[in-house]
Amino acid sequence: MFGYTCKRVFIGILSLFVLVTAAFFLTRMMPGSPFQTGNVSESVLTSMEEEYGLNEPVFKQYATYLSNLMHGDLGISFKKPGVRVSEVITRAWPATAALGALAIVLAAVVGTLLGIWQASTKKRLVKGGIFFSTMLGTGIPNFVIALLLMLFFGVKLKLLPIAGLTGAENYILPVVSLAVYPAAVITRLMRNTFQEEMNRDYVVLAKAKGLSWRRTAVTHILKNAWIPVLNYIGPAAAFLMTGSFVVESVFTIPGLGREFVNSIENRDYTLILGLTIFMGVTVIGINLLTDLLCAWLDPRVRRAYR
Amino acid sequence: MKNRLKKVLCSLITVSLCSTLFLGGCGKQGKDSAAGKTADGENGKKEIVVATNSETGGLDPAGMIALTYLSYSVSALDELLTYNEKGEIDYRAAESYEVNDDSTVWTFHLRKEAVWSDGTPVTAADFINTMVRSLDPKSGNGYANYLFPVKNAEAIYNGEADAGTLGAKALDDYTLEIALDKPCVYFLDLLRLPVYTPSCVKYADAVDSGWDKDPKTSVANGPFYLAEYVPEQYFVLKKNEKYWNADKVKLDQITYRFFDDQQSMASAYETGEVDVAPALQSSVMDLYQGKDDLVITDTIATRYIYPNLNVKPLDDVRVRKAINLAIDREELCKMVGDDTEPTVNFIAKYMKDKQTGGYFVDEAEPPFKENLKEAKKLLADAGYPDGKGFPKLTYNYPSLEMDSDTAQVVQEQLKQNLNIDIELNAQELQVNYTERRAGNFDLCRMNWTADFADPYTYLSMLLSNSTYNCSGIHDEKYDALVEQSDTEKDPAKRAELMHEAEKLAVGEEFYIIPLYSMKSCNLIRPTIKGITQIPATGALEYRYAEITE
Repeated sequence: MFGYTCKRVFIGILSLFVLVTAAFFLTRMMPGSPFQTGNVSESVLTSMEEEYGLNEPVFKQYATYLSNLMHGDLGISFKKPGVRVSEVITRAWPATAALGALAIVLAAVVGTLLGIWQASTKKRLVKGGIFFSTMLGTGIPNFVIALLLMLFFGVKLKLLPIAGLTGAENYILPVVSLAVYPAAVITRLMRNTFQEEMNRDYVVLAKAKGLSWRRTAVTHILKNAWIPVLNYIGPAAAFLMTGSFVVESVFTIPGLGREFVNSIENRDYTLILGLTIFMGVTVIGINLLTDLLCAWLDPRVRRAYR
Repeated sequence: MKNRLKKVLCSLITVSLCSTLFLGGCGKQGKDSAAGKTADGENGKKEIVVATNSETGGLDPAGMIALTYLSYSVSALDELLTYNEKGEIDYRAAESYEVNDDSTVWTFHLRKEAVWSDGTPVTAADFINTMVRSLDPKSGNGYANYLFPVKNAEAIYNGEADAGTLGAKALDDYTLEIALDKPCVYFLDLLRLPVYTPSCVKYADAVDSGWDKDPKTSVANGPFYLAEYVPEQYFVLKKNEKYWNADKVKLDQITYRFFDDQQSMASAYETGEVDVAPALQSSVMDLYQGKDDLVITDTIATRYIYPNLNVKPLDDVRVRKAINLAIDREELCKMVGDDTEPTVNFIAKYMKDKQTGGYFVDEAEPPFKENLKEAKKLLADAGYPDGKGFPKLTYNYPSLEMDSDTAQVVQEQLKQNLNIDIELNAQELQVNYTERRAGNFDLCRMNWTADFADPYTYLSMLLSNSTYNCSGIHDEKYDALVEQSDTEKDPAKRAELMHEAEKLAVGEEFYIIPLYSMKSCNLIRPTIKGITQIPATGALEYRYAEITE
């Protein structure tokens, strides 16, 4: 397991390096300049680009950036005067992480329960109803759900606020819009594996032993049925925790996704790179963690690594 | 081994759950702050919440500024003087001014009773502070070039002269003298720009020290001061009791909330989370038709197309004229939206002539009239009868809804009317700017919102040496006319020269293809009165607004 962990960490660092390099050159290849706005004059534009070292050859800029990065310095935002990129990340991350974590917890709970219900019920109406909902949930993009929720609960019923993140009630609509898709996927995964597991010998044995249905489900089936779900939750959590771009913009949430979209529009090179690196580290880290967890939960996976 | 791993898993789960709860809690702390309260006047306070575009740039007039500063400064900072809606001078930080005979030395007498929100007197040094700091290219100030009329300003910006040689001097604490390189008759119009707005010498020492967003150091000399600034969410301005004109200020507080898109702004107005939602999309007009909430204002802006003079056959004035005459702007505006109005002028339709009080462009004959028959004849004369042999031109435009609609209508009209094909090329806004500057286009969309209330803001763009002249215009006659108007002190003669220049560029040489001017749809709670419009740009100003029952 130790050797495997080392190998995975090494691959993680390598992919991060590739990511930084690709992101760096892609931002420089984008047409446009951080200082270009509708009404800025040419002489002002040129002096500002010189000031920020953008007139230097790209490879020199890249070397400077990498050496700063090695010292843990992500640089200063080009478009937010005097603000360090690390400050933007520490400020924006909590909002995104809170929403992402709440959404994934909600999705896991709802998805698991619905999946078990769908697998174990005999009522066709319930089966069909859940099936239909998961179809909808996986089919409608989350920003459409966000807009629909916003229109219905915010604008029409005036029950919930729709902008910002100032109170607890502000969390409800964005969390729900983020949770719908993963919840639907988890429901489907759960139903499939749960149904498969229900016909296994050990379940028959448990039944024959006289164990209650609830106990069989929770202590025996769920443990096995959860593995594919866990496999899914890892990347899904990473995805949600690093920001869901459109939902954050729709609900005006001061999180990473919104920062990212704005930084690209503004050509804020250092901020784009900083956010890319941060998200890369998170996604790679969580994936690594999930793989290790799975290896620990499932002996078969572990054996394959030897 | 297994037990240890299980412990790790358990602690991981615990940590993640705790952090979820903790972070959830963090968000709740802000609940009691100002954002979210509305004009209903909770606890009797008179406050309004205004929606504003997403946070861009800082609040330091000498720093890198964009929309956020513009929202802040209209309520918090007093410029020397400005013009009101009637075109009269509205003295703000200054109480009077003098100018020498050839309009090169301007002396401003500051209000002795004016103080910053912490009680420090507003002095001439505060004005010079902004100018000097803006002239350092490090400041990232995009308005620095508007200081260039001031003596030595351009040399200082380029590092060729010392900041001490700047033509702006404090004769004493309350007298500011600004010397110019050459006469500038529209100099007073420039004074509303950020680079001429004061910043307090006591705190405003550097552009990136963060003083501008810290309520402790971000003092204001206007009717409101910064009380709270939450990045990416909102900022709160409170009434400045020390303001020299505080009696006229009726509101206690203005909260600006950041929004990324117009749809969210409109929805937040619907839910009551904001009281003013400015500059919304035109679909709002239909939704609120006939309601008091809807306030339509004029913007001082023109949308037009640059034909690239270096591209054949656009170098032929007959072709440019044919395209101009063949576009049915009335029809175009019907298709694009109710917030557009056809124009054949370059200078914004709603820019006022301060001498007469009327709209500047209405005081002369329109530069040209649409005429399909003539357009067809011109195209034939140029060697393309009924569009035969006319090369396919590409039209670059930013992929915004309004510009996409416009592009399609123009394409259709030119096909129908002249039988010429235009290829549409939608670009991201930044890409569009860059390609335009580099001159990489056949036809390119352009929009210009006035920086200050003088036609010069438009006419200067087509000068041979202008940054915005990206279509290869080089017309000595035009340059001479504009330069002459620049120094002409008799307002009537000057207006005539400017009309002549516009007529030459738009109605004879057809250097541009004007399309329409725009209106702005705003939603404002009907109980809020006294919101005014800044004549130079058409933006809303809330400093003397009040809430009526």
